[in-house]
Amino acid sequence: MADPRTVAPATSILLTLGLICFAEPGFAQQPDSSASAEALKKLSIEQLMNLEVTSVSRRPERLAQAASAIQVITQQDIRRSGASSLPEALRLVTNLQVAQINSRDWAISARGFNSTTANKLLVLIDGRTVYTPLYSGVFWDVQDVPLGDVDRIEVISGPGATLWGANAVNGVINVITKRARETQGLVVSGGGGTELRGFGTTRYGGALGSHVNYRIYGKGWAREPSVLPGGQDATDDWHMEQAGFRLDWDASTINQVTMQGDLYNGRISQATAGDIAVSGGNVVAKWSHTVSANSAVTAQLYYDRTNRNIPGTFGEDLDIYDVDLQHATRLGARHDVVWGLGYRLINDRVANSALLAFLPPHVTRQWFTGFVQDEIALIPDRLHVALGTKVEHNDYTGYEIQPSGRVSWRLSPSGTLWAAVARALRTPSRIDRELFFPGQPPYLIAGGPGFHSEEELAYELGYRHQRGALALSVATFYSRYHGLRSVEQVNPPTPSPAVIANGQYGESYGAEVTADYLITKGWRVRAGHTELRIHIWPNPGSTDTTRGASESQTPDRQFFLFSSLDLPAHLRLDAGMRAIDDITRQQVPGYAELNAKLTWQPTPQLDLSLVGQNLLHDRHAEFGAPATRREIERGVYGLVEWRF
Amino acid sequence: MALLSAMLARAPRALPLAALLVAGRGLAAQAVRASEYDVKAVFLFNFAQFVEWPAEAFPEADTPLVIGVLGDDPFGRVLDQTVGDERLGGRRFQIRRYHSVDEIKTCHILFVSRPEGDRPQSILAGLKNRPILTVSDADGFAERGGMIRFVTDRSRIRLQLNLAATEAAHLTISSKLLRVAEIITRPGP
Repeated sequence: MADPRTVAPATSILLTLGLICFAEPGFAQQPDSSASAEALKKLSIEQLMNLEVTSVSRRPERLAQAASAIQVITQQDIRRSGASSLPEALRLVTNLQVAQINSRDWAISARGFNSTTANKLLVLIDGRTVYTPLYSGVFWDVQDVPLGDVDRIEVISGPGATLWGANAVNGVINVITKRARETQGLVVSGGGGTELRGFGTTRYGGALGSHVNYRIYGKGWAREPSVLPGGQDATDDWHMEQAGFRLDWDASTINQVTMQGDLYNGRISQATAGDIAVSGGNVVAKWSHTVSANSAVTAQLYYDRTNRNIPGTFGEDLDIYDVDLQHATRLGARHDVVWGLGYRLINDRVANSALLAFLPPHVTRQWFTGFVQDEIALIPDRLHVALGTKVEHNDYTGYEIQPSGRVSWRLSPSGTLWAAVARALRTPSRIDRELFFPGQPPYLIAGGPGFHSEEELAYELGYRHQRGALALSVATFYSRYHGLRSVEQVNPPTPSPAVIANGQYGESYGAEVTADYLITKGWRVRAGHTELRIHIWPNPGSTDTTRGASESQTPDRQFFLFSSLDLPAHLRLDAGMRAIDDITRQQVPGYAELNAKLTWQPTPQLDLSLVGQNLLHDRHAEFGAPATRREIERGVYGLVEWRF
Repeated sequence: MALLSAMLARAPRALPLAALLVAGRGLAAQAVRASEYDVKAVFLFNFAQFVEWPAEAFPEADTPLVIGVLGDDPFGRVLDQTVGDERLGGRRFQIRRYHSVDEIKTCHILFVSRPEGDRPQSILAGLKNRPILTVSDADGFAERGGMIRFVTDRSRIRLQLNLAATEAAHLTISSKLLRVAEIITRPGP
């Protein structure tokens, strides 16, 4: 593979232009606009029988029985919100803490422990893990998908370590894109405005014979800088280009193959040094095989490369190779067993600076994982128990075990009560063991030679209700944490050198409530409220007295209200309000903000939209200590989308 | 990225952008796709117009027309949305959800979901020829005494109808429905 730094922009431009030129309208079908119930009711029974139907599994029903705090946002939710990036779409998920730090950085977490390097969340895009082994967190500026191709985003708050793997300590975000068959035809969209200066996406989906469907896309955008608390430009404007493809091959009724990949490239301004350059790419291959009516195997293989050069701070070239195998089978009448094996290899090369160093700069690390879970129908369709464990081997701490037990009890066709106990671990990443500050001796922080995994024991109890137009969910939780990250003096009371260690413990508790109600056929409202308390204390003998100030910066409560209204004359009006409590430790004041989108669809092929983001204030802060804080300005942009 | 190049090479011939925009306008009559259960919900709603129930099925003048779902509900809210505020001959529609046959009191159209529909005998025995139109997408539902089965065949939905079963329940099926359905001749329960 050639150097993605040079390939990505060229490919992106070629694809964007190429897509427009190559696409032929004869191939096009109306994408994304599945016929509404009203339209379907106008059809005769013969016409109904001639309709081509897509069998999308309707998650909410399966969700209704899931024994965890899961929320799902759909393509329609994303489309109607006016979200222009993945982090903005995650603001629709009321059990996540989402804060914009500056023009490109986001702090995103579930169940607290949020920070600029939040590290207890597992994030997957079509099965590909996107958190970095550098700090177990996500560089949100380079995680993007064409939002119109997303089928849904599933978000679990709470531990998901047994099935999902390491890092799923406090939550899992699973972004699932549509199959290529569902994204046929040409779609061109673009626009611009005050904060989102300009953007464009072109996607073309076609078929190669009757068994292969594909899509290719190119997109790009440019964003304005955030501002300093005084209102001055913070010089962090940026732009990105990205291109990718997905190919689905229905080789036979029992074998399906998917190949997909992306390439991206971007530049971000810095006030005091040269531009940050980011680039990367990935390619994923998936095979699923149906063994019998009750047994299926999936195998997945991917390669992911990221390059990031932050002049004055550090540079990184990271290669990840990952292979996973999973088998789900029914044993007897009562046991649904799923087990899997995984192997992951990273090759990480860091270019150190005078400011900080990762030592050694170049590491190769590997992970072996295995998991098994048995879901037992104690009373079929009523009372189910799932017991499972994950066993992982990593190069830092050896074998680690993450078991969980879950119970779901269907009280009625519409109501499910669930409870769970789980042990989850946040295993060490490079930053915990290998970070030195400053970049050469004498060090103030000299790595974390003894850092081991952070441990969580989580207890959850929830209830989910879905009946007709109303869906309601309540999740409560209590968690204890041991071995939370701390900074310890080596020779107290001398403050330096210090090392990174596991000198803190803590607890968190709270509740997440969501409600979704269809008031009339054309008016849906959704609301969510989260209460969250986190306490962190030093272990006896620890010299860390921060009480976790650098580990968790999370508001105590947040409230969301969304409204989707269909108006006459092909107009749609959507609004989303959020009220976020203050972040006491960073002295970030509480705030309320409003996003709104007005769409006019004069023909089924054309959408014209006007989107307002953070409308209530000229600018507001969401995250960050006063000295380094950036504020987010009100943004307005226009959007045109053609579907051919 | 050889794959990308290969895909681009196989893409159809080039067209100027302007021509494409103009051509796009004329494509209104293209294939529309719909979600399987959106369509099935509309079928259930439509069946109300194609079936005549015996008088005892509607004891009161304002007895609503009840569409029930037995077992896991694959429709989510689609069924409620489809029915909405519709009326049929002055009657409102009502959606009910059941998880056992014993809960079923007034019901006119019953969708039996999987896996219940895979073993329909006990359900149908529980209904004892009451005037309820039973519908399912389970394999062999109509052969095993159910009344209507949705068959998804090459991405299209066909109907199978067991006439003996509808007659046993004193339901009269309109000729419009009979014309488009595949009639299954095995006897009812």
